[in-house]
Amino acid sequence: MLAKVRPAHAGRPFGAAGDGGTAGVPVARSLRERFTGRNAERLAPYVLIAPAVVVILLLRLWPLLLGVNFSFTGDGARNGQPVGLANYTELWNDPVFRTALRNVGLLILLLPVAVAVPGLLATFIFLKVPGHRFYRSVYFFPAVLSPVIVGAIFNLLLAFDGPLNAVLGAVGIDPVDWLGEPSIAIFSVVGVQIWATFGMGLVVFLSGFSTLDATLLDAARVDGASLRQVIWHVIIPGLSRTIQFVFVTTMIGLLTSMFGLLFIMTSGGPGGSTYLPEFYIWIQQGQMNRPALASAASTVLFLVMLLVGTAQIGLLRRAGRED
Amino acid sequence: MMQRRLWPAVLVAGVALAGCGSAAGSSGTASTSAAGGAASGSASAGGTGKLVVWDWKSSDKTAANFVAKAKADFAKKHPDVTLEFVAQPFDQYYTLLGAAIQAGKGPDVILFNGGGQIRDRADALLPLDQYVAADKDRLAGWDAFTKNGKIYAAPITLQGHPIYYNKAMYKKAGLDPDKPPTTWDAMVSACAALKKANNVPCFSVGNKEGYGIQFWMSGMGSSILTAAEYDSWIAGKRDWNSPDVKKLFSLWKEANDQGLNTPGPNSTAMFMDAFTKFEGGKAANVFGLMSDVGGWHEMNPILGADNVGAMLAPTVTPGTSASLAYDGGIGYGVAKWTKDPALAADLVRSLASTDALTAYSSDAGAIAADKTVKIAGGGPSAATIAADIPGGKPALHVALSAKTQEVMGRMSQQLLSGSVTVDEAMKQLAAADQAG
Repeated sequence: MLAKVRPAHAGRPFGAAGDGGTAGVPVARSLRERFTGRNAERLAPYVLIAPAVVVILLLRLWPLLLGVNFSFTGDGARNGQPVGLANYTELWNDPVFRTALRNVGLLILLLPVAVAVPGLLATFIFLKVPGHRFYRSVYFFPAVLSPVIVGAIFNLLLAFDGPLNAVLGAVGIDPVDWLGEPSIAIFSVVGVQIWATFGMGLVVFLSGFSTLDATLLDAARVDGASLRQVIWHVIIPGLSRTIQFVFVTTMIGLLTSMFGLLFIMTSGGPGGSTYLPEFYIWIQQGQMNRPALASAASTVLFLVMLLVGTAQIGLLRRAGRED
Repeated sequence: MMQRRLWPAVLVAGVALAGCGSAAGSSGTASTSAAGGAASGSASAGGTGKLVVWDWKSSDKTAANFVAKAKADFAKKHPDVTLEFVAQPFDQYYTLLGAAIQAGKGPDVILFNGGGQIRDRADALLPLDQYVAADKDRLAGWDAFTKNGKIYAAPITLQGHPIYYNKAMYKKAGLDPDKPPTTWDAMVSACAALKKANNVPCFSVGNKEGYGIQFWMSGMGSSILTAAEYDSWIAGKRDWNSPDVKKLFSLWKEANDQGLNTPGPNSTAMFMDAFTKFEGGKAANVFGLMSDVGGWHEMNPILGADNVGAMLAPTVTPGTSASLAYDGGIGYGVAKWTKDPALAADLVRSLASTDALTAYSSDAGAIAADKTVKIAGGGPSAATIAADIPGGKPALHVALSAKTQEVMGRMSQQLLSGSVTVDEAMKQLAAADQAG
């Protein structure tokens, strides 16, 4: 808690005008001519942040509140009538929505895998395995593809009579319905999501590696440390901030950008096993004509994300404080 | 730092407060909720102005003639009215429409699928009975666009579920290509012969979207349910405890377990993978459609018109007689917020005029809802379908609500993967059907 040198505090209200900052001066001066001295100085920063605040209030918070408000009204024949918590009870009793929430939990559990994949691969590139230049460029390639294209590619690869099962068949393994078996499909989709997005994490890891102290690594090698010991005792501690950052960004990616893949690869099926809240919202609003129920689901998703987001901010802040 | 911690709490409190005020704000929210781009202008007054039409067809090349003919017909009655056809992507269509309906403004004339999709949104539409009275006898398929005795759209096409089969494969298997099996037992042994001779499974099934069960239900229904059960199902009195209704679902599972289907139905999309497989000679039969895609119009050029046969369901329950399941396929309705209902209804009538439907039928390969339009050049399968239309009945799945269809899609996938029993699936379906 020693580190109180936080730039955000230094730049609080009187920062802009009081410091005589270049941008603040003309505005502050013209205000000063109209009002008297101190008052104007106190007002100036609020005037300056007003556009941003208005945009956030008007285009973010106000619609959010309208949506929440809307979730307490009915659908169809009861359109516009207050129904209390009926939509939320319905959500709770809907096995599909419960599956969607359970899948969110599953995604969070799978997060270490999603972080370990780019981490390990970046380590190998950093340790200059043969062909590391080639891998460095190839690994990033999927990250520039749109989820729709990735989904279409893997639909073909993972089809029951597709190439993957053909390869498995050649070595005597029975074909697996990767996208048609309820217990497997969600893992297939998450696997593809990791494949499609690990390039971003890899780049962050590589940039983290470039800040590693090379002398430490050399010292470890001289002392006869094995590869596993180098990774565990030198690389991972040196990269803790990078790892935390990749954790947070990967989690955001998993929780918010899987709609495209789901839509293309499974459409929530089979048997509703790959539903995520966004997909559920889309189905209720678009296909089932239940906008109020969809609003209720959005509110629940918002609360979940708020929880996850707060945890993430806490994590990032702790990471930032370490040095 | 404490201040930052407080933010989430403030947000949650705000959210909770918004909830308390829901009753007061409810009328306002309906008109202010995000509709964004949905609200394209709709101003029409008297004989002048503009009508906006939403559909997912008008940008297709095969619909160009149809739109031109309909516009010409409308221009004769209202030369000063501008028409704007907005083609939306089909997979987003009802989402965009939902936003327009919430906003209470948008298109004047709207294309709908018959059945659940229009019935669920009938509140936003204008009853057309008084306007389309003159067309009632000329057009067929009204039931799919009717709710509580009121008509909400004029049918353009008829949509139904014949079973298509590959005649060349039947010939190769030593079966008579002109006499397809008429009982389920004969079908199962034909399947064995087809598999032996052609090395292909019997049915091409795609159930990724949950459509496979719908096509199965409507394609096979008339030979599983008795006539009385069928009629009461359509009338809304569905007995989910009846052994015949249960048979619909147990046979669905059984056929798959017996290996009659193409492998991996839960991960195969009906549109268009299942049809592509049939057309590519990877299965001998498919439960198809009779208008637009997934039917004779698409199969004839690939397999050869003489090689495509259409049949009715082979008999499962003794004493039933198979019939073609069909309904109104797509149709145009009028939004209740339109400025001049009579004008918009006139456009609907032009869109359903004989000239326009003749063009649509031949270009897009659809069975027109207009009884006076003859199917030209559809080959033997289209001829069989045309002959079956007079004895046809509404399709079983079209009578179900969108909600029940969604549950049925999920249950059907779980049945195939073995994660639910038939009895449990029936229980959930009954609950969904009674709720909706």
